[in-house]
Amino acid sequence: MNIQTPTSINTELKTEAEQAARELGELLLHTPEYEAFLKALNTVNNDPEVQKISAEIRSHQNAMRWSPGDTGEHDAALTRLEIELEAIQAVQEYRLAEEAACRLFAEVDSIISQAAGVPFATNAKRSGCGCGG
Amino acid sequence: MITEELQNCARDLGEALRSSASVQTYLKAQADCIADPEASDLEKRLQALYQELVGRQQRGEALQRSEIDAYNILKSQVHHNPLIMERDAALSLVKQTFTDVADDLSFPLGIEFTTLALANST
Repeated sequence: MNIQTPTSINTELKTEAEQAARELGELLLHTPEYEAFLKALNTVNNDPEVQKISAEIRSHQNAMRWSPGDTGEHDAALTRLEIELEAIQAVQEYRLAEEAACRLFAEVDSIISQAAGVPFATNAKRSGCGCGG
Repeated sequence: MITEELQNCARDLGEALRSSASVQTYLKAQADCIADPEASDLEKRLQALYQELVGRQQRGEALQRSEIDAYNILKSQVHHNPLIMERDAALSLVKQTFTDVADDLSFPLGIEFTTLALANST
């Protein structure tokens, strides 16, 4: 006779949720929204102009971090670089693709949360401190 | 556009989570808190006082030490209420379960599901 203990039932339910999560992940991976997002992300990451501006942004940020004081010049440069970055077509396409993917994921999260009876993503989010707290 | 297959799969995951021991325990603890007049009243008072103090502070008003002390006393009463403690402990277990499941969901994607799902939330 196979008697299910509370622990074995819990493990079974967790496995069921884990299996459902993997299946959902696979489905999301092949949605047009997520595929477009990954493609746009790849394009942005490999765009020479984006790489050049990003390197300049990092350089100003590092300068501000290591030489605090009057940051006016760096602030102005960062504002100018961010405007330049956002004007690049690949970045604009990436923003649109990101927005569409976020909308889809938020909708999926809403369905999961409604069925679970508890908000899913909000409670699944790791704390930012990395201390496990 | 969300397909029916995606909707069903998301619903299956939600239902599996709802059946888990951690969510069941939390939902019961939450219902107990709502049904208990003392716990319910404490939480409502804390929320109302918090909003009042934050609102006044945002309008540039300096808060009195006694007002902050009164808030901290009420907060401590809320955190030491047995039913609220039980619910909060149950929620911690729910978070652990959800974090593990979100890892499984994120694995095929290569990006954390929660990052995109919550990107536009305030």
